[in-house]
Amino acid sequence: MSDALAKAHSNQTLTANTFVEIVETLVGDFDVIDVLTLLTSRCVELLDAAAAGILLADSDGHLRVVGASTERIQLLELFQVQNDEGPCLDCYRTGRVVVHSDLDIQSPWPLFAAECTAAGFRSVCAVPLRLSAHTLGCLNMFMSEPGGLTKSDIALAQALADVASIAIVQDQTTRDAAIREGQLQHALNSRIAIEQAKGMIAERHNVDMNEAFSRLRSYARNNNRGLTETAEALVSANIAVESMTRRRPPPPPRPASQR
Amino acid sequence: MNADQSSRLAVAFARETARSSTGRLCTACVDVLAVTGAGITIMGGDQAGPICVSDTSVAALEDLQYTVGLGPCRDAFRSGVSVHAPRLDLDASMRWPSFVALALESGIGAVFAYPLIANGAKVGVLTLYQQAEGSLTQAQHDDSIALAEVLTETVLSLQDDAPSGTLAAGLDDALQYRAEIYQASGMIAIQLSIPVEEALLRIRAHAFADDQTVAETAASIVARRLRLPNDHHTEMEG
Repeated sequence: MSDALAKAHSNQTLTANTFVEIVETLVGDFDVIDVLTLLTSRCVELLDAAAAGILLADSDGHLRVVGASTERIQLLELFQVQNDEGPCLDCYRTGRVVVHSDLDIQSPWPLFAAECTAAGFRSVCAVPLRLSAHTLGCLNMFMSEPGGLTKSDIALAQALADVASIAIVQDQTTRDAAIREGQLQHALNSRIAIEQAKGMIAERHNVDMNEAFSRLRSYARNNNRGLTETAEALVSANIAVESMTRRRPPPPPRPASQR
Repeated sequence: MNADQSSRLAVAFARETARSSTGRLCTACVDVLAVTGAGITIMGGDQAGPICVSDTSVAALEDLQYTVGLGPCRDAFRSGVSVHAPRLDLDASMRWPSFVALALESGIGAVFAYPLIANGAKVGVLTLYQQAEGSLTQAQHDDSIALAEVLTETVLSLQDDAPSGTLAAGLDDALQYRAEIYQASGMIAIQLSIPVEEALLRIRAHAFADDQTVAETAASIVARRLRLPNDHHTEMEG
């Protein structure tokens, strides 16, 4: 077997192993940052890149690094500067693959190119993290030699980027669902606790439900506590129902100097 | 039209329907699934709030199971899978004694409960009541699962628009009906110096003895027409 063939063969095995490894991770409970960091490391190994990172756009469209193959400060700065110019910004804006095979020649991003050269990188590539028609961010690769990536390298990079998109979306869907479920439960429990507390106050102080509610609300305000929190404390007997009187409590004593 | 599109459209229609009247969600379930009655309840932890019921006998059954804490709804919510009782036989009656007694009395022959789950969020239960004994058809079962998913998303999207910490108007209106039950538990808790959960069981026991619904007894307590005696014989289930 020639060296080139042997390398191709070992690359194929590594590619297959990478996908198996990532799919296995995605099936169970996973930490999305771990998965993205793993993807950037495998990307470096599979594509002979010097460094790789995944950037995601936040709600303001600002690109932020969420995983990188190395924590080298120069690399992180290279990601940062791309909010002004660079392949990631172009890739994110157009949703297309952006390749520059020699940064020393006619770079469309002078500032970015200068920083790349200083960090020892000669060529770059950015592939989009896609979700149907929407671009979430990009996978950015840096190579130490000019020439960039072959077509099949780019196809592989896109496959890795797609896996990253799946990991992100999976994670967001479940997280959103949990947050929304939590908000609904909180609102329901709050509603119930308030009605129970009204009943307790109405009975103890022999007032109607409206008056009971207004006492509950004044108590919460006067004591700087939330309405739900107060109702829950009353129901669990952490606040005495006797304290729900109509009069305002005396103001807290002031220090002598302010009198 | 793909499945994702149809489900998004279904949610949008359901949400608009629920905005004007949550009660219509239940009517829709009864129509689509061709069952005798339906009830939709949102749940959080051990707390439950009915959003709608198709008729008054369903209302009484739902009130009962959420009051005593035993019934197909709660089982479906806790387990996250649908609960099927195609016959209210001895087995069912061992599992949910007072629920089955009231169901039989109301002329119900079968009960099915589907948890409201979508994308990992669990928000409540859709319960279906049939006069005739027997299992649901495969088509009814499949449609119930699809409806449960649409209803979950409907409830969540209604709640998305509500100010933080408060229930969305559509959901809250429906709960208003049960408000008196919670208020009455608070009153009885003070009258008898017991926790509110226990107070709810006392109200339910009294309602049972007086042949009234929990809601009716609660209304009498809130109107101060009824005080509960301070005895220690609370009917407990289990």
